[in-house]
Amino acid sequence: MAKKSVLGLYTEEDSAADALDNLRDAGFEEGEYELLTGTPYPEGTFGEAEPEHHLFRWPLIGAACGFTGGLIITAGTQMAYPLITGGKPILSIPPMAIIMYEGTMLGAIIFTIIGIIFESRLPRLFMGAYSEKITEGHIGVTVTTEEGRTGVAEEALKKAGAEGDIIRGWE
Amino acid sequence: MATNSAGVEYEAVSEPYVETENSVDNRKDVSDRLLKIHNVTSNRFWQFAALTGLMFALGIIGFILKVASGFDDKDVWGYYVAVFAFLMTTTAAAPMVAIAPRIANAHWRRPISRAAELWTVAGCLNLVLYIPLIWLLPSLENGRRSLWFYGQQASKDQFWTGFESVPAYSPHIWATLAIVSLVVLGLALVWLSCLPDFAVLRDQGTGWRQKWGRRLSLGWIGTTRQWNWQYHRMGIVSAFYFMMLIFVHFFISVEFLMVHVPGWIDSLYPITHAHNALQAGVATMMLTIFCLRQFGGYKDYIGLDQFWGLGKLLLALSLLWFWFWFSSFNLFWYAKKPSELSLLELLISGPYKIMFIAEFLLVFIIPWFSMIWNPVRRSVWGPAVIAVSVLLGTLLDRIRLYVASWDAASRDFVSMLEMEMHEVPEKIVTPAIADIFLIVGFIGGSIFIFMLASRLIPVMNIWEQKEFLLYKAEAQYHRAKVLVLGKPR
Amino acid sequence: MQEHTQLSQKQINDELLRDILTVPKWWLPAVVGLGILVATGLGAFSYMVYHGVGVTGLNRPVFWGFFIANFVFWIGISHAGIMISAILRLTQAEWRRPVTRAAEVMTVFSLIAALHTPLFHVGRPWRVLYWIFPYDFDRGIWPNIRSPFVWDPSAVGTYLIASSLFVFVCLLPDIAILRDRAKGLFVKRIYAFLCLGFRGTPRQWRLQTVAGILLSALVLPVFVSVHSIVSWDFAVLIGVEGWHSTIFAPYFIIGAIHSGVSAVAMLMALAVWLYKLDNYIKPDHFDAIARLLIVVATTWFFFFFLEWVYALYTLDSPEIALRELQAFQWPYGPLFAIFVILSFVIPVPIWLFKRFRRSAKIMFWTTILVNIGMWLERFLIIIPGLVRRTHMTFDWGTYHPSLVEILIVVETFAFVALGMLLFAKVLPLIPLFDVKEGMVFRHLIKVGRKTVPASIREGLPHHYYEKKH
Repeated sequence: MAKKSVLGLYTEEDSAADALDNLRDAGFEEGEYELLTGTPYPEGTFGEAEPEHHLFRWPLIGAACGFTGGLIITAGTQMAYPLITGGKPILSIPPMAIIMYEGTMLGAIIFTIIGIIFESRLPRLFMGAYSEKITEGHIGVTVTTEEGRTGVAEEALKKAGAEGDIIRGWE
Repeated sequence: MATNSAGVEYEAVSEPYVETENSVDNRKDVSDRLLKIHNVTSNRFWQFAALTGLMFALGIIGFILKVASGFDDKDVWGYYVAVFAFLMTTTAAAPMVAIAPRIANAHWRRPISRAAELWTVAGCLNLVLYIPLIWLLPSLENGRRSLWFYGQQASKDQFWTGFESVPAYSPHIWATLAIVSLVVLGLALVWLSCLPDFAVLRDQGTGWRQKWGRRLSLGWIGTTRQWNWQYHRMGIVSAFYFMMLIFVHFFISVEFLMVHVPGWIDSLYPITHAHNALQAGVATMMLTIFCLRQFGGYKDYIGLDQFWGLGKLLLALSLLWFWFWFSSFNLFWYAKKPSELSLLELLISGPYKIMFIAEFLLVFIIPWFSMIWNPVRRSVWGPAVIAVSVLLGTLLDRIRLYVASWDAASRDFVSMLEMEMHEVPEKIVTPAIADIFLIVGFIGGSIFIFMLASRLIPVMNIWEQKEFLLYKAEAQYHRAKVLVLGKPR
Repeated sequence: MQEHTQLSQKQINDELLRDILTVPKWWLPAVVGLGILVATGLGAFSYMVYHGVGVTGLNRPVFWGFFIANFVFWIGISHAGIMISAILRLTQAEWRRPVTRAAEVMTVFSLIAALHTPLFHVGRPWRVLYWIFPYDFDRGIWPNIRSPFVWDPSAVGTYLIASSLFVFVCLLPDIAILRDRAKGLFVKRIYAFLCLGFRGTPRQWRLQTVAGILLSALVLPVFVSVHSIVSWDFAVLIGVEGWHSTIFAPYFIIGAIHSGVSAVAMLMALAVWLYKLDNYIKPDHFDAIARLLIVVATTWFFFFFLEWVYALYTLDSPEIALRELQAFQWPYGPLFAIFVILSFVIPVPIWLFKRFRRSAKIMFWTTILVNIGMWLERFLIIIPGLVRRTHMTFDWGTYHPSLVEILIVVETFAFVALGMLLFAKVLPLIPLFDVKEGMVFRHLIKVGRKTVPASIREGLPHHYYEKKH
């Protein structure tokens, strides 16, 4: 069944928190409803659950890949054409360490960036129910659910004092 | 309505206020509770003090033995100088843990700043250890390389010829001045920071503590003027202490280390030496607050925030350790200058190889690869164990460098002007019994002095704790309970 | 921060996006002017490609001239972004909020500018392609991995990629605002595409916060390595006096921070004047950055002193002869005096006074002085070192920059300014979400009759501990 989303807008933080309470009472599960704000708020301001993420794994994987890459480039290049220069050994650790270090950091950073985007659940192709007022300071509460339950969700949002009409969208 | 410079009107939005727990009762509660902990001296304290006192006695014996052996044989003195340098790297650097976060206005420093400052009291011991070194420091008459521009062999028409009139004993004068100033500044710092707390002892204490407080509080009554001056004075003394610490490390690393090894020209080394001090100073404080928390009764005051704050510092400083080391090593290794290669052989790949590897593990690999994990930084035991690792590593580092260089110095002093070491020592100088006494004794002695001082001076800063009441609030922000911290000044 | 203007989110959007959604009067002439300078510089470069590097002032023994000095200078400026944004983010200094983005963007553009000159310097830059990965082994090209010149591209490349991605990730929430505010459908689509559908869920905000800290911690070691490696281009060599000094890596870095943070202060003044951002950048911000500069400048001066002391300490006569040339002989002597006076003697005493620290005008001019001085510093490290007179008298020579070199150096400055102006036209130079977050987190504490600014603090370990137990 196609999913639909609805969005209620609030001017006060407490009404948005009430809306979340109402939705929980109406039997909506974590993940079905989401909060949209134009600015970061302190965690738990709306009584929302703390989002879990595994961002810290990403740089580690990236660092391992980058380190391996650095090792292959440095050691591989030297082994492919073993020529002694400046009396230094073919596999000279200090200069290799520098390039391997840069490789490690590059890998870690690129993977972190990918991790941030992935863990933020981006890119998002369809915006669903969304309002431009959110980036102007309104707080939005959006519910994504089966078509049949949108009515319940709308009622819960209205009860908490949603400003104006409920906005509808599709996923 | 207000307007900005573009002439656009805007509506100023009001900012929420929060209530702090500041009240007469709470302020009184802080000093009552801290004084209560301060006034109690447990049996365990005395047992440990007796142990360190005994160690100190051994140190004194070692000291006498060493001085009696005379000043001619340089290689006998390596361990002695290493202990001196180690104490300058740990006890003299610990106050930086109070100074730096105080300048940055970090609140987590409040429960640990006094303990950090109190380590300056152990500086008196460094001063005693320094006295024989005056005789050991080679004068400029021999024509050795020097920072003091004397006995230069450069041609006469060059611009610094005028500096040749510098007295032959200028290094001795400068070194003594620097070390005495550092100790005096340290004592001044701890005394200044204690003034309001001495007043607390005077007003709330009993017996000899009250008398002690009356003497030393200098009539502190807490007028606005006195408080303003308190901040200024402490700021100025702290800044001077920091500068003097850097200067002393610059000095020690050159005059007691580099001049003894022909060919050792490493412009980064004074900074590295000072950096080691900051790292070891943080480790010293980690271990200190661990003991204060576990055994000193300050469990409610020294919490995870403190270990976390210090842990982050140690993580950064450990990474910097590697960078400083590599910056020198890479240049020496890459350039392949014979003088620098023999230096690398002396300090890294030669007789002291194992010591170097152990040190590398203890001050860089172990702290860095464990502190990088947040759960380790957010614990009590993790930082304490790592602090021990760093301190051990720093001790090994000091022994490796100083013993090696004083060993080299005893071989061919004249070749220093040639700037190349022809003969690298093959073996480690083994410590004599007096050396072991010195190492154990003076480390124990510093702890002994610190412990005694902690009976006279509250080891937790009472006025900074009271001040914290003004700027800390637990507030309700809609559905969340948040901590709000004020940033005065 | 005592001075503060609490604003609504709409107000912040309106003010900070005004110059993106409309065109300020001075913008077009400025862009055209700078564009002409860039075009002239590129023209000079084409001339150089056609006639060969002989049109520059480079000759035996001075093979490194304006180009390399300029390269080191711009690498230095690029350190500002990370210095300001990463260190201040990690230490949770509230005053960082309005200045981080501009500093990071300057990092990106100055890194590109830095890459111009060594690429031009090699004469036939397209040949560089042969020794950039993947290596062209089939043609017998043999890249010497042990050469410091391989460290350079690896470090600068890493830094450029890392800082560009850092800027991009932190821009996502601000591009989302632009998507909502932009008028034209086409422009809206572009912003919608760029922001990847950012909506502002708690998860997305949480990751923005974590990303700021994590990326700062990752980029900082890269930033340290980049300038260290640039310094090692000089310092691993023993053939040139004055270069083989172990302090070079930290000395270059602290010098870079000195010039870079100065450049950020200069940018802040420009932001106040050109974009009227005085609701965001207050005298307190100038005060804070000037205090930082006092510390940085003093540390730099200490390192500079150490570098000199150890040069004299060697008692090595060629080294000492070089120092005489650097500091006392024509034409380097006067330049040396100007360098020390401009980068330390004049600005630092001025910054000691609170009144001057809080003035945008004074900060602007003093920081410009610092950067003139620091450019000269790079020049004085490189050129006198190479000019030194060895036993071979046929090898005596000096260096005069040619017009081509001067035009190309001017081009790099115009390029960075142009880049910043173009960036500011399409994306905000002040991070809107960071400023908004600062306002949400801001509280006040009343102590008697005095109001003290305060801020909500998150992520302290005791919170974590309480949550778990």
